[in-house]
Amino acid sequence: MNPISLILKELFYRKVSSLIILLTVIIAGTVSVAVYTLSKASENETRKIMREQGLNLYIFPKGTNLIDFYSVSNTQAFPEEYVDKLAESKTFDAVRHLTGILQVRFPDWTDPNGSSHQIVLFGYKDEAMQRFLPAQETMGFDVEKGKVHLGSLVARNIREGDPFTIKGSDGIVRNFEIAKRLEEGRGMIDQGVAFNLSDLQEVLGMQGKINKIEALGCVCKDGRIKNARNQVQAIFSDLEVTEISSIADARENQRLMMNKYGAFIIPFVILSCLLITGLLFYQNITVRNREIGLLKAMGKPTSGILFMIIGKAFILGLIGGIIGFFAGHFIAEYFGKEIFRFTAPDIKPLWNVFFYSIVLFPLLWMLASWIPALMAIQIDAAKTLSQE
Amino acid sequence: MIELKNVSKEYVKGKEVFTALKDISFRIGKGDFCFVTGPSGAGKSTLLYVIGGLIHPDSGVALYNGHDIYSMNSRDINLYRKKNLGFMFQQFHLMPYLTVAGNIKLACNGKNHAEKIRYYLEKCSLATVSKKYPSELSVGEKQRTAFIRAIISDPEILLADEPTGNLDQLNSDVLMSLVKEYNDGGGTVVMVSHNREFEKYATRSIELLQGSLQ
Repeated sequence: MNPISLILKELFYRKVSSLIILLTVIIAGTVSVAVYTLSKASENETRKIMREQGLNLYIFPKGTNLIDFYSVSNTQAFPEEYVDKLAESKTFDAVRHLTGILQVRFPDWTDPNGSSHQIVLFGYKDEAMQRFLPAQETMGFDVEKGKVHLGSLVARNIREGDPFTIKGSDGIVRNFEIAKRLEEGRGMIDQGVAFNLSDLQEVLGMQGKINKIEALGCVCKDGRIKNARNQVQAIFSDLEVTEISSIADARENQRLMMNKYGAFIIPFVILSCLLITGLLFYQNITVRNREIGLLKAMGKPTSGILFMIIGKAFILGLIGGIIGFFAGHFIAEYFGKEIFRFTAPDIKPLWNVFFYSIVLFPLLWMLASWIPALMAIQIDAAKTLSQE
Repeated sequence: MIELKNVSKEYVKGKEVFTALKDISFRIGKGDFCFVTGPSGAGKSTLLYVIGGLIHPDSGVALYNGHDIYSMNSRDINLYRKKNLGFMFQQFHLMPYLTVAGNIKLACNGKNHAEKIRYYLEKCSLATVSKKYPSELSVGEKQRTAFIRAIISDPEILLADEPTGNLDQLNSDVLMSLVKEYNDGGGTVVMVSHNREFEKYATRSIELLQGSLQ
């Protein structure tokens, strides 16, 4: 008889015990996936909120009038390669995420109805990170070349499906596909348009130029601004650094705290479930000692008996892992809607977590059944079979 | 075929030492029906399991075709049991989650014995219950199922430990006639029972008393 078929028949025969074991995997899987997904969502939410709230640090040319800067006046430009140089510099580690930005006021944009408006244009360079430090996920805007993201006020003037049209400093009218229409209430970008940096440089005839660097994701200790300033100025004496928001820090700290909770809850739940599983398998072996004795008497090898026990754990671990993944995702999505303002629609199944679920849970549950399986192969067949 | 030479086995329970087999020597030839009898605790089952490769004697040797069973490695001893032995027990020991047919197939060692299974099911009046589970069977049906499971892969030796212990007279007679038929077909039988009534089927008898041959 096929050993897998034997495992399945036993599994269905001892329904209650099998269901409880399955339940432990489902609970562990659900909690792990839900907590992890929510923690990821929290990370994304923090990222978006940080963008909303402003950023940790701005790096801009020395002598820039900050009043002009905040009131979105055009400020002095500098080479965009500064971003890469900062990223490559091993002496600059005060912040991780660097985005070169060209931000200019464009006083004469004509909308499709022919009306003229003053708008703000943002050109985002692909985010750079310190390349000698471990890789991290990017936090900045991603605007693809040839596309734009429209601020809510600008978007009101353009019909769905139409391109964004702008006349460049060279007199050429350029069309850009609208990749996103941003929600209102996002600050300066409401009255602006986000471009890929190279597109905006071409429109404005400012090739290779930016006028500020946004630094994201810095949760530095006290004195960070001084530290960052010293590090930047040691590389570029013509640049200045200023701190923008401490709210971002609070959000980042909140996210880190959630990660810490996750780092405790997930192992705690998994270990508890593994312990219960181990006990259930022990009980299963005790109940089945005569069956196992019989198999031994019939000449079944030790490996075959181990396979029967561990194979059962694998099957339950796999099924539980799959159910747990979808249940965990469902819970994360359900509660995520209540918790996260920006990220809720983006809570999607994390397929890399699915892969870990179908590998890790069967493995862990096989591990939990390992000691009972070893006990099974130690069963004295003669003793159990001669019992009346 | 099977030869025991000066086999002894003792069990220790706390401070008490119980002698199950004491210097047992005898030989069972191919096609023999060896009936082992004696009172409870005489060492009958221990003797059977020593032959079955399941109880390692403290001293002496158990030989199968001249090979010491207990000097074999675990792979060979499993193979010895798988190829040469069929077991029957007083408690039947059927897998509760397998049907009658499933329990028999369990002993087929991956071979397709469908025809043979059908033949034995008919012969043992189990054809109508072949899809039933052990909990749905009478004791006689259970033991006949256990009998087919024991012989389905054509073992040379059938080791039966009190196979009629839980059966009424009628079912015992049916079972014994099946065992006898197996023996008549060339199979070797070692049957342990305290009921001497079945000694009549045997070609030789051994009586054990406190672990010693009488």
